[in-house]
Amino acid sequence: MKYLTQLAIIFGLCLVGDLISSLLPFAFPGSVVSMLLILLLLSTNLLKEQSLGESADFMLRNMTFFFIPPGVSIIRYMDIIHSIWWQLLVVNIVSVITCFAAASWTVVLVSRAQKALQRRRHA
Amino acid sequence: MLEILSSPLFGIALSIVAFRIGMWVNKKLKTPLANPLIIAMLLVVGFLSAFGIPVEVYEEGSSFILMFLAPVTAVLALTIYRQRKTLMSNFFPVILGTLAGSLAALATIRASCNILGLDRTILASLLSKSVTTPVAIALTEQFGGIPALTIASTIITGLAGNLLAPVLPKVFGITDPVAHGVGIGSCSHALGTSKALEIGEIEGAMSSISISLSAIWTVLLAPLFF
Repeated sequence: MKYLTQLAIIFGLCLVGDLISSLLPFAFPGSVVSMLLILLLLSTNLLKEQSLGESADFMLRNMTFFFIPPGVSIIRYMDIIHSIWWQLLVVNIVSVITCFAAASWTVVLVSRAQKALQRRRHA
Repeated sequence: MLEILSSPLFGIALSIVAFRIGMWVNKKLKTPLANPLIIAMLLVVGFLSAFGIPVEVYEEGSSFILMFLAPVTAVLALTIYRQRKTLMSNFFPVILGTLAGSLAALATIRASCNILGLDRTILASLLSKSVTTPVAIALTEQFGGIPALTIASTIITGLAGNLLAPVLPKVFGITDPVAHGVGIGSCSHALGTSKALEIGEIEGAMSSISISLSAIWTVLLAPLFF
């Protein structure tokens, strides 16, 4: 019963997220709204961590599993992919590298700047 | 026969068996190239073609698993919540890091599509590919792209991030686990994050936070690059 309740809470919050998303005047995906909603409810103590509990952990631990069906579906679009396969690989891999470099170096530089500011304040 | 196979039970059972084998091979071989997802995908495709089962039949059954993509994305909130202290103490680095990552990804995709002569439909399908699948598909539909191409690209991107996650920090001289996690989550959504969760708790949490933050930044910024 505990697991069913947890699933009902998670699915219910996803539906609320979809509803909010459909009411927004701009395109904003429902699953992201649901995530922000759950975060808000947890932070304000309106929702307890145990209410999502094992069911949420089960999904998080086995996250890779849920990507198998969309992965298999790629074979249906082989003709498009076949005609631009190397361009796709280049765009995807290069953007992964530039994105990683920009994000991680920004984190390093901003933390350094913050530490320098703190030191100046204390000095 | 095909009627029985289009039952969700077949799609789920086949996916679970393929996933178990993928995890087992991954543990035995201990190399990032033996990625459990790639192995599972190949096993399912191999099984379907060996028995002459159309992929549409598997899709009908496995749509039950696809239904979980939104809840899986939503419960990522839990990993952020559990690491809220780490997030709050790294608030500006994480917010600005995901912003920089999203801008870099969007600019790189736009520029490389131009250089490689890919048309606007392809650009529309690729712009959102760095972020989590449901968000990426929603953005592609908004731009009039091909969702299937987005799914393929989010998976290529996710796999690239997953495989490169342990290597990239060495290449770019990153030692901070927070920077490492933000980098992985920004560039390769949940698929990269599944590797970040294996690397460490801080990396996993930061990567999870970055999925949502970079998805938000990308939703807001992508129109500027289209």
